[in-house]
Amino acid sequence: MGRDAITGLVVLAASLVLLGLTVGLERHPMLPVGPGFYPRIVLGVTAGAALLLLALDLVSRRGRAPAARRSGPGANYALVAITYGIFTAYVLALPWLGFRVATFAFLVAMPVALEPPRDARRWVTVLVLAAVATAATYYAFERYLYVLLPRGTWTGL
Amino acid sequence: MYELLAAGIANVAQVKYLVPLMIGTVVGVVGGALPGVTITMTIIVALPFTFGLDPLQGLSAMIGIYVGGSAGGLVTATLLGIPGTPSSLTTTFDGFPMARKGEPGRALWLGIWASFFGGLLGGVFLIATTGPLAAFALRFGPWEYFALFVLALSMVAGLAEASLLKGLLAGMIGLVVTVLGTDPMMGAPRLTLGIEFLEGGIAFLPVLIGVFAFAQIMADVEKIGGARGAAQAVDATAKLTVSHLKLLGELVRRPFLLLWSSLIGVWIGVLPAVGGSAANMMAYDQAKKFSRRPEAFGKGTPEGIIAAESSNNANVGGSLVTIMAFGIPGDAVTAVMLGALTIHGIQSGPLFISQQPTLAYGIFAAYLIAHPLMVIVMAIFARFALKIVTVPKSMLFPVVLVLCVIGAYALGNTMANVYVLLAFGVLGYLMFKAGLPLAPFILGVILGDQIEVNLIRAIMTDPDPWLFVTRPISGGLLGASVASVAFALWQHRRSQARERARVDAAAPDTTDS
Repeated sequence: MGRDAITGLVVLAASLVLLGLTVGLERHPMLPVGPGFYPRIVLGVTAGAALLLLALDLVSRRGRAPAARRSGPGANYALVAITYGIFTAYVLALPWLGFRVATFAFLVAMPVALEPPRDARRWVTVLVLAAVATAATYYAFERYLYVLLPRGTWTGL
Repeated sequence: MYELLAAGIANVAQVKYLVPLMIGTVVGVVGGALPGVTITMTIIVALPFTFGLDPLQGLSAMIGIYVGGSAGGLVTATLLGIPGTPSSLTTTFDGFPMARKGEPGRALWLGIWASFFGGLLGGVFLIATTGPLAAFALRFGPWEYFALFVLALSMVAGLAEASLLKGLLAGMIGLVVTVLGTDPMMGAPRLTLGIEFLEGGIAFLPVLIGVFAFAQIMADVEKIGGARGAAQAVDATAKLTVSHLKLLGELVRRPFLLLWSSLIGVWIGVLPAVGGSAANMMAYDQAKKFSRRPEAFGKGTPEGIIAAESSNNANVGGSLVTIMAFGIPGDAVTAVMLGALTIHGIQSGPLFISQQPTLAYGIFAAYLIAHPLMVIVMAIFARFALKIVTVPKSMLFPVVLVLCVIGAYALGNTMANVYVLLAFGVLGYLMFKAGLPLAPFILGVILGDQIEVNLIRAIMTDPDPWLFVTRPISGGLLGASVASVAFALWQHRRSQARERARVDAAAPDTTDS
């Protein structure tokens, strides 16, 4: 199964599940159509398009030799996963640690993960940049643009 | 119109508007010059800074970013051979060879002046057509709006670089996002999946931030540590000073090229959600086809630079037309502007220019003034560009992500929007990996509610479905949708046939052996 077939299958499954959920939606007495009318059209067309993508990929692959793996450097998926992990942790930590603590920690963790410091000078750069960027964004948004950034339930900051 | 435009220029010439416009232009040029940072990402990062400004100040800053960013990409394209933005891709084809031949100043300034004139031609189109198009759109009922939005989606799907089917599927996934949450007619909850914050529906800006900024960063992160393109910059001490009169003469001697490339840029800009990269490539291709010396393209010909740069700046004017006349974003950047207008409680669309003339003509004025500002910024900035592009992405991306989080959070002072950003960042990245184009998806998210509202309104007014086809404008628009899909299919088949012919021609002849 190729990339398109997997995409088609996932989208088809998701649209069918959502389509099933529209069945129980109650119709409003003032409207000629219920709240499920438009979602059913959208989800039906989406399911159809996904099915077509799946079918076309399966048909085009039949009788064709599997493509050779491309040589050369591949994508660094481990780094993508780590980056997602750090960003998710940051987002989840924001309400608990507050903007200042969580952002500082994030701005230290992320550059270190992306390009681990090889010497003390680089560590200092990372720490200084994290402190300056945190302070600058906090003051710019809280003091001058009146955006109340998240406060930490644990830290009170 | 002229009085309103003059008043708009006088208004924007005030310090309180000029400062955000200037800052926006500088930020745009820097963002445009940084490879891996798109104009969309730059404008998303700047979005939260505009919340505390008045609407025209905020929009001036955004227009500055848009105009500056469209031109900024050419700095790295000509001096480093790396397109700063996708819309300056073809600028590298001739800009960099010309710079390496010892004429970096000529390459750079030809691009800057082409951007300037292309942008101004786009401005003429913007000012001349927005009013009449908006007046025409006032004749639209729900049938016509429904048909117009369907046309927008089908055109985007058809013009997507991936297959038509993938474009359509991406657009449909965008529409699916809008059916989650509430019914826009009666506000009844539906398909909330048991998630409380979905009851209010999903705001499109966090989705846009997630899909365009976050997913784009992840796509760049996966390349970190891999083979890097060794950028062979031109000599850093090379002179960038040129005779501007001579360069302007080079441009004036090619009026057809400048005009045609700008028109292509404007036309691509008018098409919903098709960005400057398509304009850039199409104008370059056309310039090569019309040239008396097509063999000189790719070797440092001025025609290549003029076509590429005039088209991508003219594209900005075209993109602004659709948002101001119909309320349909021309691309992701104008989608963010649409969001900024909504935050300030302003509805864009056909009534915008008549109900908000000061703001509308202020936008025109900001667009016109942004171009000379861009030239000034480039004159000062170009020398430093080579240093700025060396900022490590490992330092830049985390700061961009923090600003994305603030942008999403500040939309309603709620973490729910940040969670939406996170979720759609993942979805955007997966779509990117699956080869599903993001432009139709985001247009689906933006237009989904409007499509539903107009469909239901039309049915409530008259349940006869044939009205969608029999009303002249609605029928015409739906016909154009079918034609655009048919054209995309035909084009796809033709390019497949050409590809097969190319492969057959390249294959060694084995019949004799």
